[in-house]
Amino acid sequence: MAVENKEAEKIATLLEDLDSLENYIRDLFNFLPLPVFLLSPAKIILEVNPAFEKITGYGIEESIGKSVEDIFNAEEIESLIKETLDKEFIKAKAISLTTKSGIKIPVSASTILRKGEEGDVVGYFFSLFNLTDIKKKENELINTQKSLLNILEDTETARKEVEMERNKTLSIVNNFTDGLLVFDGKGKLSLINPQAEKFFNVKKNDVIGCSVAELSSFPEFPPLVEILGKEIKEVFREELIIKEHLNLEVSSVLMMSEKKRIETLVILHNITREKTIERMKTEFVSLAAHQLRTPLSAIKWTLRMLLDGDLGQITKEQREFIEKSYISNERMINLINDLLDVTRIEEGRYVYKPVLADIREMVQFVVKSYKEEIAKKKIKFSFKKPAGKMPKVLVDEEKIGVAIENLLNNSIRYTPSGGEVSITLKSDKKEVQLSVKDSGVGVPKDQTERIFTKFFRAPNVIRLDTEGSGLGLFITKNIIEAHGGKIWFESEPNKGSIFHFTLPIKEN
Amino acid sequence: MSLPRGSVPRILNKMAVKLTKEIAKKIMEVKGEARGIHFKNDAEFILKEKGKEGLAMVEKELEVLGYPIIYKKISQFDFYPIGLRALSLLAIQKTFAWSDDEIKELCKYAMNFSWVIKLLMKYFSSIEKVAQETSKTWSQYFTVGQAFVKEYDLEKKYAIIVIKDFRLHPVYCRCFEGVVPGVLNMVIASKKIVCQEIECVFNGGKEHKFLIKWQ
Repeated sequence: MAVENKEAEKIATLLEDLDSLENYIRDLFNFLPLPVFLLSPAKIILEVNPAFEKITGYGIEESIGKSVEDIFNAEEIESLIKETLDKEFIKAKAISLTTKSGIKIPVSASTILRKGEEGDVVGYFFSLFNLTDIKKKENELINTQKSLLNILEDTETARKEVEMERNKTLSIVNNFTDGLLVFDGKGKLSLINPQAEKFFNVKKNDVIGCSVAELSSFPEFPPLVEILGKEIKEVFREELIIKEHLNLEVSSVLMMSEKKRIETLVILHNITREKTIERMKTEFVSLAAHQLRTPLSAIKWTLRMLLDGDLGQITKEQREFIEKSYISNERMINLINDLLDVTRIEEGRYVYKPVLADIREMVQFVVKSYKEEIAKKKIKFSFKKPAGKMPKVLVDEEKIGVAIENLLNNSIRYTPSGGEVSITLKSDKKEVQLSVKDSGVGVPKDQTERIFTKFFRAPNVIRLDTEGSGLGLFITKNIIEAHGGKIWFESEPNKGSIFHFTLPIKEN
Repeated sequence: MSLPRGSVPRILNKMAVKLTKEIAKKIMEVKGEARGIHFKNDAEFILKEKGKEGLAMVEKELEVLGYPIIYKKISQFDFYPIGLRALSLLAIQKTFAWSDDEIKELCKYAMNFSWVIKLLMKYFSSIEKVAQETSKTWSQYFTVGQAFVKEYDLEKKYAIIVIKDFRLHPVYCRCFEGVVPGVLNMVIASKKIVCQEIECVFNGGKEHKFLIKWQ
């Protein structure tokens, strides 16, 4: 009896252990975060854990007894089972399952063959790993890779385009008839084209990377350095004479990016031929003018003598004709004088004899000579000058007189009868300013840029008055600028103009 | 294939469930034991369908009958009087006025839950294997009676299972009609497996005979 009780106790203990073991395995099975299932050799799902229920959406009752092909891709699962049979286990093979709601989920499946005591196949354990997130990341990576490849392709295309563009630009630069120099942001020469090499008689490799100061050591460069300055300032069409028979026109352009100078382009245009032609032209005009002036002077004095009665009495009718001839001759002489002035200016022979002079007196002198003309045209004239003493200016009186006269003459000539002309003088510590204002025809807007050029006469002026050489303002501008002054104007067609010039006040 | 011997009675329906102390006592007199897993299965199914309150109602019913079962304390590996399992099924049917089909569902549920079945899964590789192991499997569950596959035809898709020397209560016949398709479902990937008792000891038969057909 005692033995039986003992046996019963042992059995009870074993049963308790079995229950505990069952609970332990069940808890473990339920806890497993990976979906796990057991498959029969007939490909029927025999057991699943909660993670499997979660991933497939099929409840435990729906899953058990279900053909595995109802959930997994038939070909994939068949292949996996076959591999498992061959190798007894498979690690991480990508397959896909279809959830109850029809969503396809990529999973990584691992399997192990389950065998009976006699070695016969009794099933397969499957564990799954959801690859959705990984696939998503993978797809993102693939997309990113594709995008990067596209960008790379675009960049490569852009690079080729840039290279083509660069080659094109280089070809243009190399074949450009103008000399080109490019200085980088640090003022170092980064490009010199063949034409510029020829101008300065240098080799590209010797000068690239040189600063402006360093370029001064090359024999042909100093005149350019003098124009540009060490900082390479911006210049526009400055004349540069490198050597005899080589005249260049220099322009420099600062290339800015975000208010910072990145490069400076220096353009050297060969104007030797133009200068030669200009010189020849000037020489011709000068010669012609000189040759004309002598007979014109002779005509002038002969007519003067006739008018003065030195050659006998003349009739009233004769006087009228001779007076007209005299005036025409005077105009011719003035034109010749203007032409000669222009040639002198262009040849640099327009000699200046500076003296300290009172500009007010100079103006009054000119005004006086036009008094009759002003009265004749009934022009309301006024001369506004400072009440106090004005500083004297260091000028060539004769030339400044010509400048004032040219401005006043234009104002009177192009202001209709009864109009207004005024001269205003003012000064400060640095300069004196003269302004000649009129209520004349004004300068057409589209002609303003040409007003100070040689032989220019605006169309409205030509219609009014056929006289005038178109040289007055050119000469005036040269005179003022030769004195270190500035000249400019404001004008409105049919309302009038106002011309200003300034002259610097200098110590004698 | 044997022909059925008369119709199998369908005595268990909602109106016919009759469970008294006397009936219970008579059932309890049947010799033999069944594994505790049967009770565990009953409890799990009730918990799933009716919750804790439902299970408590069944326990109360059994207590009234004089054969209380505390399902929680049942060990699924232990053996208990076979009559007690019949009482468990009858008490459930009575408490919830369930039909035979619901009893079949309850018994089929064992396939999802039974740990013993999981241990026997190694036999679910083929019909032949199941047929071969039926007797052994039966003895894993019961200490009385014997079961075997009398015949099967994979082409015609049917099998006949016989249970001998097992006379407990017709409720068990319905239970087997649920269990057998559940087991077969583990071997045949078919959603339509039908099991019907074609001979029953409670209807003049010599033994229980179940015809299983599948598609």
